[in-house]
Amino acid sequence: MSNRLQGKDFISIGIYTAIYFVVNFIVSLLGFIPIFIPLTAVLVPLIGGIPMMLYFTKIKKFGMLTITGLLIGVLMLLTGMGYWCIITCVVFALITEFILKGSGYKSAKMEILAHGVFSIWTIGAFIPIIFFRDSYYANLVELGRADYADALMSFMPDWILPILIVGAFVAGIVGGIIGRKIFKKHFERAEIM
Amino acid sequence: MTSELLASKKNNTGIQFDPRTKMAVLFTLVIIILGGSFQTTLYYTPALLPLLFFLFSKMWKSAAIYAVTFLACLCLQFFAVPYVPGIPGYLLMIIVLLPLYFSPSIAIAYYFVATTTVSEFIAGMERLHIPRQITIPMAVMFRFFPTVMEEWKAIGDAMKMRGIRLRGGKAGAILEYRFVPMLMCCVKIGEELSAASLTRGLGGPVKRTNICKIGLHIQDILFLLICLAGLVFQIILWIIG
Repeated sequence: MSNRLQGKDFISIGIYTAIYFVVNFIVSLLGFIPIFIPLTAVLVPLIGGIPMMLYFTKIKKFGMLTITGLLIGVLMLLTGMGYWCIITCVVFALITEFILKGSGYKSAKMEILAHGVFSIWTIGAFIPIIFFRDSYYANLVELGRADYADALMSFMPDWILPILIVGAFVAGIVGGIIGRKIFKKHFERAEIM
Repeated sequence: MTSELLASKKNNTGIQFDPRTKMAVLFTLVIIILGGSFQTTLYYTPALLPLLFFLFSKMWKSAAIYAVTFLACLCLQFFAVPYVPGIPGYLLMIIVLLPLYFSPSIAIAYYFVATTTVSEFIAGMERLHIPRQITIPMAVMFRFFPTVMEEWKAIGDAMKMRGIRLRGGKAGAILEYRFVPMLMCCVKIGEELSAASLTRGLGGPVKRTNICKIGLHIQDILFLLICLAGLVFQIILWIIG
């Protein structure tokens, strides 16, 4: 079996990215209520863990997750989460890729850890809020969203970024454990994989 | 009745555009409208673009729906939202701003997927020298979104019959009972899809050919220039402001 990506792998990438993104999208819709905005960074990894853990067991070659990361980044841009997600997605997907490669694509524990690291990409959606706070706020006010903007800013103080990183990581681990449990309970027994 | 994202057969009329032009317009709109800096005037001008494209390809119904939605929301935004106080005002604002903010991008994305076939999409991406490691997963993904949503709905219906819903006192079970069947279905469909594509020569070692005739015509160049102008304008605004 060669190490280059084949047609079959491309299709797996497309399918799992689509599933992950749909899950992601449904969760992010909660973000229109201001208090849920910081929470999406935690909820997405928590629920996304289920499809991702399934995907991780399929990954046997280097590069698949990076492509997934890139695609998710582009989709996040298209759905209005800003272009920072492309950078965070690709960077964290690459790191995750190395973790998976290091473990030989076999260790379940490393997969859970890898999902934790991969989940940190969600902070990409918050970078413009924190680093470009003034212009972001001005834009929201200009659109007539002053009360939304005030509420958002009070939920997103500067010190929230490290908390979000840790939160996303922990949620990613928990999501990974849940995903792994479900995987063992259903998919392994049904011999889907 | 199945819905498709990227069309599998060609059914568009009117003036045709190159897939690359459509992609450029899509990204320009997204960057200008959703990408952060939305000065008010700059925001309402690009909102015309989807309407133009709908009219060019004679999609009258879509054009009418888009124009009415956008104008209605615009009127509400100016004449109603500032005068409704408190929580109802806040709710109204969300209801009005969501379509106002997202409808141009959704409209142009709809135009893109409704008038582009998978082959055209791949041909366009190939001309842009984007490697197939990215184009094939992307095409599969677009093919797969409607499937995932369809399965999600169907499984939701089945679960409702069993009384597994948010209010049924079994909320905790929703995650497992909905996700697992959906994932199973998707994995199965995915396997069938990859078998089908392999028989059509996806895994072959040679370069794939494509019979789609795409090329940049005068209308494409015109719109590419508009996109370029919009992006340059946006960048200048970023530098100034």
